[in-house]
Amino acid sequence: MRHDPITRFTDAERELIDRLNRTLDHDTALAQLKALLQVAIEIELATIPIYLYTYYSIQRTIHSGQQVEPSDVFANKAGGLVMSVAVEEMLHMSLSSNILFALGGWPQIYMNAPASYPTGLPHHNPVGPRGPHGETDVLIPLGKFGYEQLWRFLEIEYPEGQDAVPQDDNWDSIGQVYSYIRCLIACDWIHDEDFRKGEAARQIQPYNYSPDNTDTVYVSGKFDPWTPAPAPGRTIPRDLEDQYPSGAHAAVYANMADSHAGATELVTVTGKTDAFIAIDTICDQGEGFAQPHVPTEPTDDPSKREDSHYFKFLTLQAQLEEYPKYVEQLPADPTPPGPIAPTVGAAELAKVIADYPKNPVTADYPDLLQPISDFCNGVFQYMLILTETLYCVDPKDQKRFFNEGMHRSMIWVLDKYIQTMRQIKIWEGKHQGHIMAPTFENLSLGTREASFAALTDLGNKAIAAAKALAEAHPEDKDAAGNVVYYVNKALTDTDPPGASMHLPDVAPYWNGNEPVFGGL
Amino acid sequence: MTTLNVREYLKQQPETGPGEPVPEPYPFAGAPPFPTTIGTQPDGMPLHACMGLNSCKGSDRFGLEGHPDPVTGQNVQNECAGQGYCSTAVQHTCHVENSCRNQGGCGLYGTAEEFENPGHNDCRSLGSCATPINAERFSTNGSNQGKSVWARARKVFEDVVWPETRAELLAKQAKGELADGCLLPEKLGPAPKEFHDLGPSYLWISDDNAHRNNMTACGSSGTSGAGGCS
Repeated sequence: MRHDPITRFTDAERELIDRLNRTLDHDTALAQLKALLQVAIEIELATIPIYLYTYYSIQRTIHSGQQVEPSDVFANKAGGLVMSVAVEEMLHMSLSSNILFALGGWPQIYMNAPASYPTGLPHHNPVGPRGPHGETDVLIPLGKFGYEQLWRFLEIEYPEGQDAVPQDDNWDSIGQVYSYIRCLIACDWIHDEDFRKGEAARQIQPYNYSPDNTDTVYVSGKFDPWTPAPAPGRTIPRDLEDQYPSGAHAAVYANMADSHAGATELVTVTGKTDAFIAIDTICDQGEGFAQPHVPTEPTDDPSKREDSHYFKFLTLQAQLEEYPKYVEQLPADPTPPGPIAPTVGAAELAKVIADYPKNPVTADYPDLLQPISDFCNGVFQYMLILTETLYCVDPKDQKRFFNEGMHRSMIWVLDKYIQTMRQIKIWEGKHQGHIMAPTFENLSLGTREASFAALTDLGNKAIAAAKALAEAHPEDKDAAGNVVYYVNKALTDTDPPGASMHLPDVAPYWNGNEPVFGGL
Repeated sequence: MTTLNVREYLKQQPETGPGEPVPEPYPFAGAPPFPTTIGTQPDGMPLHACMGLNSCKGSDRFGLEGHPDPVTGQNVQNECAGQGYCSTAVQHTCHVENSCRNQGGCGLYGTAEEFENPGHNDCRSLGSCATPINAERFSTNGSNQGKSVWARARKVFEDVVWPETRAELLAKQAKGELADGCLLPEKLGPAPKEFHDLGPSYLWISDDNAHRNNMTACGSSGTSGAGGCS
């Protein structure tokens, strides 16, 4: 399999490297590098709740199989593409974290998501390109899927121009931040040995990442849910000419396995080359600029089958009816697509997009719903702690910890819990009439060591609130039952013989907020 | 709803339900109905993730009680290793939720390596995705991407899992720790003929789409082929 080569330095980058060589010393360069990597981690982290919020506003399978309507096809596509980007943002946060850990730093993720919404991205230039309504602010809301929200996504992923300069503050594009990081790594003050403070075996390992899953996949149209998937080396014959394809045949994969620099997506870092590879993967996936800077390609991989984040979002926008009407300030490269058929209008979107509020906070929800929202935020924060904890876990146990911690919390708790919340219509207050949505707040769970106990306390309060909800609002009885189920899934679930099937308690890996290497 | 089965209920709705229309006539009328509970298992047999991945006669979802023979109506057990009807592992819905070695399904979430080894995992929490493995499910990663998970699981079982398991069981028999009655042939028998080499259809698992909760699988794209938990 071919992979993207490491990007050559531009003239602007070489100029900066020369300046860094003249003006810094080792300790200063290293400190700047570690500080800027923490900024990069916070930028990547900031994108995740923004993308997930919009993702969960999309109801992907109101109809399925042969029953799907055009609005369902678009919703499934939009969901698959947004999730495919969110997955890669998690990869990017992991890559930046691995670089920082290699340098002897500790990624600070817990309580470091945006403090409120709409939010600027950390250290971003508050003024950006002109949006669909002429606005130039770079303030990203928690918003449901739609044309304006896609513009905000484009602002996040805006490609850097060929003449872009590296920026460590007040930056215009994420690529320019990483460009500055590349220059710091490349300067003479930073050496391969600097990347051996945090051992590679404790970094987040390549085997934990997969580019696609059943949530990044979407279908191209109607399909026959009863047709078996083809066995290797054979296809299923069609008995009828009008038969729809199987789900396997209708599946479209939003991400590609070759979309990375180096040998694999989630590299560990032991030297400068590894760090360059990690940054190339981040930048190429986001903006699609493969080496050398040839900004005419919307794709980010050698096989030219995976669009960059920027182009994925632009492609979705191009299918909405607003696209021909508004003149956003888009870069010339890659060339924006023309309107994509079939056009999706407001009425079609209304069928598949949950009426989420804009920038909700728990305090604005009815009292009865606040503990349910608090637990959602608690799980979100606990996931960030689990991510930090991965670096404490004995390497031989990392795969299992990742599965039982990260995967279970994301897929089996947070994902289902948010979908449960989506069943609840808000009956009073600021967001009356809207659908209950996650608020992704920096809700404190206390010290990392005590965080599982704090999450348990939040869970108990959510269960009590769910029981009260079922009493007061019988229409929400099913949702309330699901709240109880998923809280127990997070905190107390066991299999029939009694073995734990819930989230792991991170307490053995922390002394207060100080990491304890090796855990128990 | 109280007097109609789900399929009849769905047929009265203005919008057809998931899976509708179903194939007519029902193609698995000759197979015993999908058992919603797992029968008594022979002593010492490892649990497994799906149809055709069993290690011994009587080791399948019907267990020692057997399944009704469509001709005689009498209960019979599956004949041998590789010929069983469906999983005996604790049923689960998703990646990481398996209880033990070789009990993971596959195809929905997981890495390329995991997707290339369905039904072949080291231990608890290291398996991939829901069991049973319905015939419609395809891998979303790795070299098996877009292809049948069940067919891959059967291939891995034939090539890797069964030789390992057979050697372990033969050793146990030699020590007297396992009854001699269980034949452990080198070559596996075929999976039940109603499902050819495709694995258990969700149409069968769901009793002709009437009981979609007989098995669920996670994921939001609607392509798992099974009743969704999301």
